[in-house]
Amino acid sequence: MSLEDEYRAVRYGAALSRMEHVGLLRLRGDDAIEAVDAICSGDLWVRDGRMLQTLILDEQAQPIADVYVCPDDDTCILMVEGITPEEFSACLARHADPDLEFELENLRPEHDLLSLHGPYAWEVLSKWLTPDIIGLPYLSFYRFDRGVCFRAGKTGEFGYDLVMRSEDAEVARRELLELISSFGGAEVSLETLDLCALENGFFSIRHGSLEGLTPLELQLQWRISTRKPFPGALAIEERRAEGMTRRLTHFAARDGVKTGDALHGPDAPVGEVMTVAFSPGAGGLVGTALLDISVAHPGIDEFFVRQGESTTPIRTVSSPLLVNRSLLVDPHRHSYSTRGDLSPLPLWQGSLP
Amino acid sequence: MTTDLTDYVASRVAILDLVRQMLRDTMKLQIEPEAIDPDAPLFGTGLGMDSVDAVELVIQLDGAFDLELAGSPEAFLTIRTVNTIVDAIMEASGES
Amino acid sequence: MSYTPHITGWGVASALGVGRERLRSALLRGETGIAPVQRFDTSLFTAQVGAMVPGYESDDRDPTALCLEFGSLALRDALEHARLDLDCLRSRRVALTLGTSLFGDQNTESLARDLAKAFSIEGPAITISTACTSSTQAIGFAADLIREGFADLVLAGGIDALTPKLFAGFDALGVLSEGPCTPFGLQIGTTLGEGAGFVVIERGGMRDAVTYSVLRGYGLSGDAFHETSPDPRGRGVAAAIRGALDDAGALEAEIGYFNAHGTGTMANDTAEWCAVQSVFGPELGGALPLSSSKGHLGHAQSAAGVLEMITTLECMGAGLAPTTAGFEGARPGGPPSPVGTKKPQPLAYELALSSNSAFGGNNCALVFGNAGAASVDPEEVRPVFVSAAAALSSGVNTMDELASIYESESPPAERKLRIDLAAELPRVDLRGIDRASELLTAVTSRALADAGMQLRGKARERTGLIAGTLRASADSLERFHESVERRGLAKPDTTAFAQVLPSAAQSACAKALNIRGPQSTITIGEGSGLMAAALSARMLARRRDSDRIVAAAVDVRADDIEGGALADAACALVLCTAPTAVEVAGIGLAGPEHLDEAIAEAQRRWGSEEPPDLVIESSKPFAGMPATSSSFALAHALGLLRRGHARTVLVSSKGTTASVAIILTSTEITHDN
Repeated sequence: MSLEDEYRAVRYGAALSRMEHVGLLRLRGDDAIEAVDAICSGDLWVRDGRMLQTLILDEQAQPIADVYVCPDDDTCILMVEGITPEEFSACLARHADPDLEFELENLRPEHDLLSLHGPYAWEVLSKWLTPDIIGLPYLSFYRFDRGVCFRAGKTGEFGYDLVMRSEDAEVARRELLELISSFGGAEVSLETLDLCALENGFFSIRHGSLEGLTPLELQLQWRISTRKPFPGALAIEERRAEGMTRRLTHFAARDGVKTGDALHGPDAPVGEVMTVAFSPGAGGLVGTALLDISVAHPGIDEFFVRQGESTTPIRTVSSPLLVNRSLLVDPHRHSYSTRGDLSPLPLWQGSLP
Repeated sequence: MTTDLTDYVASRVAILDLVRQMLRDTMKLQIEPEAIDPDAPLFGTGLGMDSVDAVELVIQLDGAFDLELAGSPEAFLTIRTVNTIVDAIMEASGES
Repeated sequence: MSYTPHITGWGVASALGVGRERLRSALLRGETGIAPVQRFDTSLFTAQVGAMVPGYESDDRDPTALCLEFGSLALRDALEHARLDLDCLRSRRVALTLGTSLFGDQNTESLARDLAKAFSIEGPAITISTACTSSTQAIGFAADLIREGFADLVLAGGIDALTPKLFAGFDALGVLSEGPCTPFGLQIGTTLGEGAGFVVIERGGMRDAVTYSVLRGYGLSGDAFHETSPDPRGRGVAAAIRGALDDAGALEAEIGYFNAHGTGTMANDTAEWCAVQSVFGPELGGALPLSSSKGHLGHAQSAAGVLEMITTLECMGAGLAPTTAGFEGARPGGPPSPVGTKKPQPLAYELALSSNSAFGGNNCALVFGNAGAASVDPEEVRPVFVSAAAALSSGVNTMDELASIYESESPPAERKLRIDLAAELPRVDLRGIDRASELLTAVTSRALADAGMQLRGKARERTGLIAGTLRASADSLERFHESVERRGLAKPDTTAFAQVLPSAAQSACAKALNIRGPQSTITIGEGSGLMAAALSARMLARRRDSDRIVAAAVDVRADDIEGGALADAACALVLCTAPTAVEVAGIGLAGPEHLDEAIAEAQRRWGSEEPPDLVIESSKPFAGMPATSSSFALAHALGLLRRGHARTVLVSSKGTTASVAIILTSTEITHDN
């Protein structure tokens, strides 16, 4: 299936993905939450059945893992991108109090993670799992007979993650693929999901080099606690005291821009391209750039990439870059079958330079 | 930077600071204004405000910046991040 | 001994008319009481309609005066139906349980105080102020007062009036429907209403009265979810319904009709339907006749519970199921076929279920109807113990500091009370918490920690919270009123609006600490903390759905209001069924002028010949803390008993609308109860 087709499935219908790149861990015990709290950068405001998005940083405050923390009484399920379970364990050993009582378990390979994304992903699940699913709030989860269902997602559409035993996941995958075929759906690759994340301004641990970057530059301060110690906390303090010199900003361009390209302004260089990808929604390129803090703002047309003699302009934009269909869909009232009734707002409302 | 660009950035920064101050002071977000990332989601994830906060925020923005978001169906699209709010304010005052 | 609560009469002042005759004929004709609002200008709001009491549509006097009038009309109507007169009331042990929230503008117990005086009610008058579940809870608590012999007759009900600020707040939250609401139907949103209702509940066989129905049981729970939205999967509602069925000794299959809260909002109706299916299962749930009375009566707020129960009683007696006025087709995600005919449907049923849910996630359900086999059996009553306490006020941060204040007999030094709740509870999201919530959460979490209780798993559903407080937090009230003054009624501060309920602190505390068991907010004015403890103890003794209940109290300084607290204070005690060194040996309740009766009752229930070693009369030295001072006294008694300074202590309070006496004993002593 082409990227375009996969993209359409995610943005207009319902798409399925096996999330093999996501680590699944479980901590159990009286001090499970405290252990996670010791290595994650954000405040862990624990409420059963709710998910928290946080980061693990190295001592230089560079993000090394993107983590969903899902507390469930004295168990904590973690979905981790960026580091292996062994590395996670090593991190705990380095930073968590050795007297804490907990057990760490890698849920793979006995378990798998399947995800559904799309403006009608809820409808697929309401048939496959339970009609009640439309009542599950964003960033919460609950247990069902065959596993755990999380409502999250990094595409800007309705997103659901299902953690199940591998045998059940295999059966589920077949059943769900069959269901989504009547939703204009498809199984989609990580590349498509990463593109959707980029368009919606979701941080990805895979988007470009994070060398020398901290949550300050990456616009992730909301995932940083100001009250507790954590790995990287000192480096963040130092960076704050020195002052930020760069900030991540989104941009759009027609073509001719690659990762690592230097960006120039009218008088001087202004930064460099971090990630870029073709967006079928925009009909052009979308990406992120690290710009000099003095100009790291959306709505600027003056910057460009040099290609030999010619220049390619870019336009900085606010994220999310598009109006997700999911914002217009009300699970209580709408359905895939009545999708034509939705107001025809185009996904991409900006224009290319 | 060109003068236009300088002026543009200056206007944006001024409004950015006002909006961040508002989030901190009147919406009671317990975070320093400088620490509010301009592209951080305000609702759901990110800064974690909820639907009741959204109603209040729209009223405050309308009052402070002479917008007409309250009751408009696009309000929820406008107030996704601080930057999108600044975009709306600048558009309303014809500065973009 | 356990007595069966008989319902021997009722009375109303509702949107369908004043007096139950008018109500019945309007119900039978399928009429609605919803009409364009005349009392104030609605042109700035989305909604234009409301359900006002006929004859008062344009009456815009002070809402407290209006409430008093509605309440008096309904009470008179109820007394007439039950064939009771004022002399009759005076000579019996008569109590009043009143659901009203008075929107926090005044001390909430003032309405009960005035009604009790006007109607010569000399027994205890307890006000429940949990917004939309207030009168449902009032009826439940009335059942307990009868069952346990604390009163022979209780007038139980609720009152509310529709004011511009209330309308503005709900409208700003986006929950009002433009036209008349259609619960479970195609219009989304609710319609506000008002009114008053009372049911007469008494001990059967006490006098020559007609028993129309028997109050079999009630259930309480908390969602611990959000200030204004219900748990979308209806788990709290389901818990309240299960609690009511359990209390009633009834099976799901015995329920013949369900009167839903059914406000018409998407959030409530879908959550409630989830709850029905979860409790009754898809088959029974699908076949259960259900409807919402809000199409007729609007959402009468604190009076919703009682008016909806009375609607059911009227129809039940005529062999009918009430209908959902205005219903024209089912909404997806809700029950596919609620009773929605123009007029009530013929239906013979023996047992009905009625449920309500409130802001802050409070849920309450009632089961009533035929007597049933189990209801006359005496319940096995469990002993109740006190395991811990925490106290907070200027100069008091620990139980030792509390003790030294009592020992020195001088009031605490005036110092600003500062706490760092974020440091005490680093794992809890405390954003937006107001002063009352902050104080209540601090003492509740400290008391639970002192009791060695970490709320995990099932413990969350089996832990309750009853808070005594006189009004909403002063800071939220000020913020809300100020926003209306500054920005007008069309733009009230919605985050403050969600907190201007007296029950907001209890809900916020429950949400912060994950307390999902039975919960309530009550007031008797002065002495509220002790009443909260008395109610908590009796609930634990009788019910099986909780293992511990935190009995708490909070005052927030409001010295600009008559009778307002002069200082911030809060106190919490953990009562439990697991044995500890201190037992709740006896409880007595009586009217505010009869403290001696309350004390005698407590002594009698304790069953000892000897008087208690020590008597603590609650109001000194913590004057100016009306809700909390009596809790401080009880906490101090706990301390004394634990340290062996006494073996038995009596704590009493001559409260504003009730007298309470509690005897605590050290558990080396045993008596037959």
